[in-house]
Parts: sequence; C-alpha cells; structure tokens
Amino acid sequence: MSEALSLYVPRASGVHRLNPLTKLALAGFLLVAGLAAPGLWGTYLLFALGVLPLALLAQVSRELLRMSFRVVLPFAISVFLIQGFLWPGGTPVIGFGPVSLKQEGLLFATAAAGRILMVVSSFLWFALTTRPDTLMTALAQRGFPASLAYIIVSTIQIVPRFQSRAATILDAQRARGLETGGRFLQRVRAVFPLVVPLILSSLVDVEERALAIEARAFNRPGPKTSLFEIGEARWEPAARWGLLAAAIGVIAARFILYR
Amino acid sequence: MPSLKRDFSTLTLVLIPVAIAINIAVGQLIYTLKIPLYLDSIGTVLVGVLAGPWAGALTGLLSNLIWGLTGLNVAYAPFAAVAAVIGLLAGLFSESGWMRSLWKSVLSGLITGLVAAVISAPISAYVFGGVTGAGTDVVVAFFRTIGFGILPSSFAQGVSSDPLDKAVSFLVVWLIVRALPMRFLARFPRAENVQETGQAAA
Repeated sequence: MSEALSLYVPRASGVHRLNPLTKLALAGFLLVAGLAAPGLWGTYLLFALGVLPLALLAQVSRELLRMSFRVVLPFAISVFLIQGFLWPGGTPVIGFGPVSLKQEGLLFATAAAGRILMVVSSFLWFALTTRPDTLMTALAQRGFPASLAYIIVSTIQIVPRFQSRAATILDAQRARGLETGGRFLQRVRAVFPLVVPLILSSLVDVEERALAIEARAFNRPGPKTSLFEIGEARWEPAARWGLLAAAIGVIAARFILYR
Repeated sequence: MPSLKRDFSTLTLVLIPVAIAINIAVGQLIYTLKIPLYLDSIGTVLVGVLAGPWAGALTGLLSNLIWGLTGLNVAYAPFAAVAAVIGLLAGLFSESGWMRSLWKSVLSGLITGLVAAVISAPISAYVFGGVTGAGTDVVVAFFRTIGFGILPSSFAQGVSSDPLDKAVSFLVVWLIVRALPMRFLARFPRAENVQETGQAAA
C-alpha cells in the first residue's frame, strides 16, 4: 500500500491504535457539532477544546494545523472580502462610503470561517490518524458490503497510477505539438485530445480486472476470512453509541433551542 | 430488486473505482489548462450511463468522500450529495435514450448542471459562507454588490459554471461511448441505453 493515496501519518499514539470506527464516530460527532455550534465563537471553541487536543494526543497537530490552514485560507479570504465589503445595506465600521467593512458581513464571515474550519479539521483529523484499508477492514468485519469496501480500497490504490498516466498523456500530446498554454481558445481545444485518450486507455483494463476478481471467488456469498483482525478496547463500542447519541442530541438541541 | 442486482455486476464494481480515478485524474489535468471548467464528474456520468442511475449515484457519492478523505480536496466532501444526484440524473437521462443523440446529451448535461447548482447553493451558503475560494467568486461578489442575498448569489455562481461544465462532461461521455468497441459496451448492464438498434444488426 506504499503507493496508495492517503493522508495517513504513522505515529505510535493511542489514537492511532483505536478502532477506526471509534475514530469515525468521533470525527462524525465533531463535524455535526461544528455545523450546529451556536454563536460567533462556538466553532472556534470547539476547535480549540475538541479537535486540537485530539490532534495533540495523536501527535499530528503540526500536520493538522498546516493542512487546515492551507484549505481554509482561500475560503476565509474570499468570505471576509466578499461578505465583509459587499454586504448590502450593512452598517459600516471601517472605511468610507461604498468601500467599507460592514458589521453584519464581518460577523457572518467570522461564523462562516469557523464552520469551514470545523468541517475541514474534523475530516483531516480522521484522515491523518486512520489508514483507509484498516477502516474498510473494520467496516467489512461488521457486515458492511465487501463490494463497497473493494471499491473504496481499489480506488485509493489506482488513483496514483492514473495521475502518472495523465502526466504521460500530457507529455506525449505536447511532444506532438499540442498547445496546452497560450491563448484561451488554444487551451480549450486541448481538452479533448487530453481527456479522451486518458479515459479510453483506463477503460481498457476494466474487463480484465473483472475476470481476475471473479476467478478469485469475489462473488461467493457468505462470510470471508480477513488476513487482518482489527481489535478494539472493551469500552469502544459503548463510546461509539454514546457519540452517536450525542450527535443526535446536538442536532435536536440546535433545532429546539436556536430556531 | 433484481434490476439493482443486475446493475451492480462485477464489471460495474470494477468500473466504479476506475471512474472515480478518472474523475480525479481528469479534474487535475483540466486544472493545469487553467480554463473555467472542472470536468471532475466525467467518470460519474459514464457509470450512470453504462450501469444505471443507482450505480452512478454511488460513484458520485464515493468520489467526493474519497476526494476528501485522501486530502486531495477536503472541501469537496460536503458536496457528496450533489455528486450523487449528478450520477443519478446521468442514469435517468440515459434510460430515456437521451445519450444516443449528440444534442440531447448536451441538453442532459445542461439540465444536470442546473439541478447541481440548485442543490449545491444551500450547502455552499451554509458550510462555506457562499464562497468557493476560487476564481468564480467574482460572480458571487458581483451579485452581492447589486444587493442579492447570500443564497441567490451562491446559486448564481453555480449557474454561471455548472451547466456548461456538465454539458461538456456529457459530451465527452457521448464521445467515449461512441469510441468504445461494441463487444466491450455490450457487457455493461445498461448497454441497451446507448447502443443504436439499427447499427447492431449491420
């Protein structure tokens, strides 16, 4: 799996040893709580007291902060500029006349940036601490359809190969004189000669793969033996149910208390 | 449900990962061309056309979740439901025979893009404050300036890019299906939706 596409950062932490489903439940709870958090600073508080300590515990806080920053920054800049300056009929706080930051816009942008931060960081925390294949194995052991697990794991494995194939086609077509830079129309014209060969060449081996997995009893009904067993501590199933209940509780509270 | 079982044949299960990889690889390839298109749902449309609406919906859903989970584009994950609807619609249009003609394929793409813009606007408005963090935010800025609300501005942004993007995607899929050998096409569960009846006998 060395070539597979994944954010996973190996660390010897207790978080990494947790059952993937427990981490999934935790990330799901944080996501729901982040989207439902009330007020201006609720999401930031949740990030500081929820996601950040969990990332520190998993020794991935540097990676988490760096990646969250990289993803959130363009959104934050856009939302502050657009909603801050262009809020129709808002109360100006800084600036004069038409070019001024509006109070309503700034409040909205602060809340929006917090939500983006929570969505992105809870997702990243899960991806940084969990290998996709162990997640799928854990799911399959609990009756998740093996075919879905196959789809996800094989996607993660073939994407890097497709990316290098795309680079090869780009080079090959450029070598034949295809303009991929320059004027706008030239670049538009380059779309089909690049895209069509890539797709056709990738479809070629679909049939072969299907025969290969059918020959290995992929369609056989009944339980299958896995090479790896994903263990878990005794308290983990209870914790997952607790997190699920808490997530439902948060949604309910959001609709009852703040509407 | 016998038809669902037929749609999810082994060939479909193998096609879906390839389709998701196509979404990702083509999306990145187009990004290097710096044109105002994404073309990151060609694989999803292709599965919808060849293996039915439900397989298309699954491809879209997993595509965006994997996009997020692998860190390629974390911001795509909240739009998984939109991607699922794109796959679903591609399947439905194909069922009604629209993928057989060039112009109906393009029209299917335009309609799909419009629907995608309608469903993605509330997600974009609530989760991302109505912005995309990319060049199309110029459209958002314009509509905010002339006094539109956040949701309508976000919808306008979608309408300015999604229908064209999906129309080109559907056109590419139409071209691909044409270029694939009959023998290969015939193995897919919904091959009859794209095969020309007269041509098969000739």
